[in-house]
Amino acid sequence: MKCNKVHNKLIFFLEKELSVSEMEQVQKHLNECSECALFAAEMKNTLRILDSDKVTDENPFFFTRVKARLEKQSQEEPVARPVLIRILQPVAFSIILLLGIYGGFKLGQTPKVAITDSSLSEQEMVPYWNELQDEPIESFLME
Amino acid sequence: MSDTDIIEQLKQGSELAFKKLVDTHQKLVVNTCYGLVQNREDAEDIAQDVFVEVYRNIDKFRADAKLSTWLYRIAVNRSLNHIRDNKKHKWFHSFEDEVAAKNKAVMQVSTANSDEPEYDFENKQRAIILKEAINSLPQNQKVAFTLSKYEELSYEEIAQVMDLSVSSVESLLFRAKKGLQKKLYKCYKKKCM
Ligand SMILES: [Zn+2]
Repeated sequence: MKCNKVHNKLIFFLEKELSVSEMEQVQKHLNECSECALFAAEMKNTLRILDSDKVTDENPFFFTRVKARLEKQSQEEPVARPVLIRILQPVAFSIILLLGIYGGFKLGQTPKVAITDSSLSEQEMVPYWNELQDEPIESFLME
Repeated sequence: MSDTDIIEQLKQGSELAFKKLVDTHQKLVVNTCYGLVQNREDAEDIAQDVFVEVYRNIDKFRADAKLSTWLYRIAVNRSLNHIRDNKKHKWFHSFEDEVAAKNKAVMQVSTANSDEPEYDFENKQRAIILKEAINSLPQNQKVAFTLSKYEELSYEEIAQVMDLSVSSVESLLFRAKKGLQKKLYKCYKKKCM
């Protein structure tokens, strides 16, 4: 394995994510090449920082601060808008609902005449379709 | 008290349940934010907002969902927003510029404190390089890497939090590590510290 190939695999070598044979090849190179071995050691020391760089302690005042923030935000919240929304929203919905009901009645009434029409035309359609069945499509092609 | 019990009681308005939820998951949320923003104070500040959001939206929380997944998601989103807002105030800096600037700060601190062992000084430099390298990763790679390294989540858990397939997470982590390796090598060669 060449130096730059080792450089490309070093982080995965340190994380033990290479195949067994690749692990062996990189290790073999590191045993023989002091330059790569130095970089590998530096990278190992750098990545090791992640192991200890974590929040492990708890802030005893944390909950109090969360609560204070909650209370502060609910105080700051504008009162006028929610009230307006609380009144306007039901009114708007009621109007939409009434319009919907009215529209529904209108729609339900008008087609009554149309239905008899469409049922007639449906009956007229049936023989037409039957005729098509009688006359195979091939006959058109033959002519 | 299990998470399900806590949520059930919180939905009924129990403050004790909320305290329990915050106490139980404080570390998870603060550590996730810390991994992304790399500053303890900011991390705690964001984490407080995370719990405020949880409190306000507890009714929207689905009973079959995992509480930790939800917490991770809010923590990640809020941290990314914080990073984005902070970037607006900053002019573009290259990775090397950032490292050099931070290094200068470390130098000043360490000359002030002359009996600091050399080992600590070297590690401080390494920490700066590493953090800048992580910070320069594309957003999704950074999130996957942080959840993997700081919270030690499995690929499956990261996939759930990020709403991605396991293979996408694998690919993100692969590219993140490749990117870090490249940055670390560049820095090592150029002696950027
Ligand atoms: Zn080599």
